Amino acid sequence: MPEQDITRYIVNPDVSCREEDADGALLFNPDTDEVLVVNATGALLWQALAEPRRLADLLAVLSERCDHVPADQVAADVSEFLERMVARGFIGVYEGGNG
Amino acid sequence: MSLPDLSALSSAPVEVDIAITGRCNLRCCYCYYADEMTARGDLPTDRWLAFFEELGRLAVRRVYVTGGEPFTRPDLFELIDGIIANRMRYALLTNGTLLTEERLACFDQGRRRARLDYIQVSIDGSRAEIHDQSRPASFERAIGGLRLLVAGGFHAPVRITVNRHNVGDLEETVHLLLDEIGVPLVSTNEAFPCGVTERDAGRLILTPAQREQAMRTLVELADRYPGRINATAGPLALARQFQMIEEAQAAGQNRLPGRGTLSSCGCPFSKIAVHHDGTIVPCHLLASLRLGTIGVDDLRQVWQHHPTLQALRQRHDIPLSTLPTCADCAYQGFCTGGDPAGALFLTGELNARNPMDCLRVHRGEDPFYAL
Repeated sequence: MPEQDITRYIVNPDVSCREEDADGALLFNPDTDEVLVVNATGALLWQALAEPRRLADLLAVLSERCDHVPADQVAADVSEFLERMVARGFIGVYEGGNG
Repeated sequence: MSLPDLSALSSAPVEVDIAITGRCNLRCCYCYYADEMTARGDLPTDRWLAFFEELGRLAVRRVYVTGGEPFTRPDLFELIDGIIANRMRYALLTNGTLLTEERLACFDQGRRRARLDYIQVSIDGSRAEIHDQSRPASFERAIGGLRLLVAGGFHAPVRITVNRHNVGDLEETVHLLLDEIGVPLVSTNEAFPCGVTERDAGRLILTPAQREQAMRTLVELADRYPGRINATAGPLALARQFQMIEEAQAAGQNRLPGRGTLSSCGCPFSKIAVHHDGTIVPCHLLASLRLGTIGVDDLRQVWQHHPTLQALRQRHDIPLSTLPTCADCAYQGFCTGGDPAGALFLTGELNARNPMDCLRVHRGEDPFYAL
């Protein structure tokens, strides 16, 4: 199984999230002083990642919202989102117990 | 897919100025905290910590901690930890006199240093005879504190408040700060008639000739030290503003984008302030405009709905052409009317131009106001 399929992700608890309107949210990482604007899908993923989630869990969260987009495209987009967010310290890899 | 509309008013302040204490170990001659303010009591620790939790829930990003003198509060680091625990960054504004190696070592604990943007120190002269006229009996201690900050690798910009006592000493002060001590940045402002200053305005506020002198000197110094001297108000900011107007006029323009209304201050769209007794105000300089009390009034509600804040925001849409003072002014299309605090202090009205920031007043051509 590819590594990303078993990896669980979780938000960096030090990052704050302000949902300004239905179109998305502003994330602020106070440790790096970086602000990130995410669209509504990003905000939905952010909410889901309040608890540790695998890629498959996140795809399930998006399944209804993105039912007009090919599944492999959604998977690629979410993987890229996770990669970018992890690289910038907004999301971390959860290292707690399996569950 | 669309993104949040960042041009709309944010749902809560982005930044908050808080005066954590009204106490100060100095009695500076131009302090905006006058008798009425200092008579009010400081909030206890738990009230501030509860407020920081509210700020955290609102995803406020930054807290500017001021006073009074913040280092007079024995629980200062407990408060700083409260800011950090609620996912915010912070900066401190201090007179520098209470900084010691022991106190600065406290910043090494936890994330206090990592979340600190800067510690700004106020210095008003190159030597005690100058500085102490504005900030009595404090020069050696303030410079000592500043040197400790620089030696400790803290980001320690300095604020100079230009007034009659130090206007002739700006070059020497800047030399001391930038060349000898090695601070990264000097920002400048000027004393204006509010708080304590009002009582002694005749001996403090710059005369027109001194203001002209300060403008010339600071522009020259800013050119000499690129990127190390700045201002958002006061002589340097004004000099740049006036220069821009003159250049635009010389180029045949009759207005500049985003100008021609009372749009000088953007703070009501991003910031709010809290006095040491918990009173919420638009900014510390608009101290009399009470918006509520922390822990009693919901900050988000205040931010979104308080009529005074709304009026300050709507001020940006008031054309200068509708003001009697500005209707026939040739600079109208280039001007933003100056900051609302100055307008309120000097004219008694918020929806007025600030004469201190007016090019026509500066040139002695204004029919309504003379410096």
